[in-house]
Amino acid sequence: MYEFIPKYLPFFLKGLQHSFILALVPLALGFLVGLLAALADVYRGRTASTLISIYVEFFRGSPLIVQAILFYWFIPQDLLGMRIDRLMAALLVFTLNSGAYQKGYIKGAIEAVHEDQMTAARALGMSKLKAIRHVVLPQALRIVIPGWTNEYASMSKSTSAALAIGIPELANISMSVASWTFRSFETYTFTALLYFIWIFFSVKVLEMVYERVKIPGFEA
Amino acid sequence: MPDVVAEAENVWMEYKDIIALRDVSLQVGEGKIKVLFGPSGSGKSTLLRCLAMLTKPTRGKVFLRGEELTSPEADIDKARAKIGFVFQNILLFHHLRALGNVTLGLRRVLGLPKQEAREKAMKALREVRMERWVDHYPAELSGGQQQRVGIARALAMEPEIILFDEPTSSLDPELKGEVLDAMKDLAKKGRTMLIATHEMHFAREAADEMIFQDEGRIIERGTPKHFFTNPSTDRARRFLARLVREGQSNV
Repeated sequence: MYEFIPKYLPFFLKGLQHSFILALVPLALGFLVGLLAALADVYRGRTASTLISIYVEFFRGSPLIVQAILFYWFIPQDLLGMRIDRLMAALLVFTLNSGAYQKGYIKGAIEAVHEDQMTAARALGMSKLKAIRHVVLPQALRIVIPGWTNEYASMSKSTSAALAIGIPELANISMSVASWTFRSFETYTFTALLYFIWIFFSVKVLEMVYERVKIPGFEA
Repeated sequence: MPDVVAEAENVWMEYKDIIALRDVSLQVGEGKIKVLFGPSGSGKSTLLRCLAMLTKPTRGKVFLRGEELTSPEADIDKARAKIGFVFQNILLFHHLRALGNVTLGLRRVLGLPKQEAREKAMKALREVRMERWVDHYPAELSGGQQQRVGIARALAMEPEIILFDEPTSSLDPELKGEVLDAMKDLAKKGRTMLIATHEMHFAREAADEMIFQDEGRIIERGTPKHFFTNPSTDRARRFLARLVREGQSNV
């Protein structure tokens, strides 16, 4: 009953490729955003923390699909009167969304090691910056991996929100294939399988990475 | 006095609802070993932390080799590199092996090249008899071994003075000995040390002077002999008696 799938496989793979880009670029850029936001939240005063919490709550407090629409249609086109590339809009909003979540994970990890380890580093004569770089972050970025793995899995699936602004990612493609072939069940089960394989193996790799780099006897 | 290494001058540490130090003055001379003792909450840790400028006193001055560290122009990081600090709860860097714990400051603070840092670190680790454990992570070492690495970490920086904040009080009784032995070795080599401890046996053997502190004040100071034969204040006498009674030391 899945005999029609091979015929449409190039479409699925193209969709998967878009989904990869929509997940991996925002995860990577969102990591930088989340790291800087976490550091600023922990080490810069109250004003920084307030601004960061407004940012985080905005992106955590509404569905990604709504944010995608806001950032593609409403903000640039209606508000600013400019056109913006769909993919760029999606990458931007996904990055900001993922960054908001990653900030939470990274901040938690920093706080788990910060206080005592910072004292020990400062007592050696390290500046705050050196202590962050050589003592706090090397530990925090290891213990954040399990939490980050969740964000990876979540973000990978959330790329389907990009269908709302017409990007031909995997979920969008499978809707098209279903409407062309009238074979919804097969199409969607195959699509689910593709997501599953992607996420399952990525998570396994991340778990292996964590096992390799984790600090003996010190897991948060 | 040219040979004074560390000095506190009329130091106060006032928190919102507690005064941790009240007008404490203290000098530690070159090669001297001073033991600070007194009930918990008496301000021993706070005094040590003030001397290392890990907390800034609310009033008074702190000096290292005559340089005022409490002055706004002082380069505190540079001063801290010359002050060794050994913590009650050890605080090794979890992500580094024993050797890495000792080389980190040499590399990143003193800027030594890798090989030189390694040699210096090995020398310090040998001094505390930890040279066989250099490739172990902190979690793979016993508490006593961890604390010896903590001492080596301080020692390797070739500090002017080492401050010990109850270095054995978080350890099981059977692990205290190896740490105290390492400290005695350092004492014999003429290191300048200020040690907060309740290990009275150690104090009697190693201290040049003992300082009894209570409720943020220095109550009495004198030689070990003075304290163990005839302390002049009631509070010191009661405290020492209690230490003996509770078997916290083997006086």
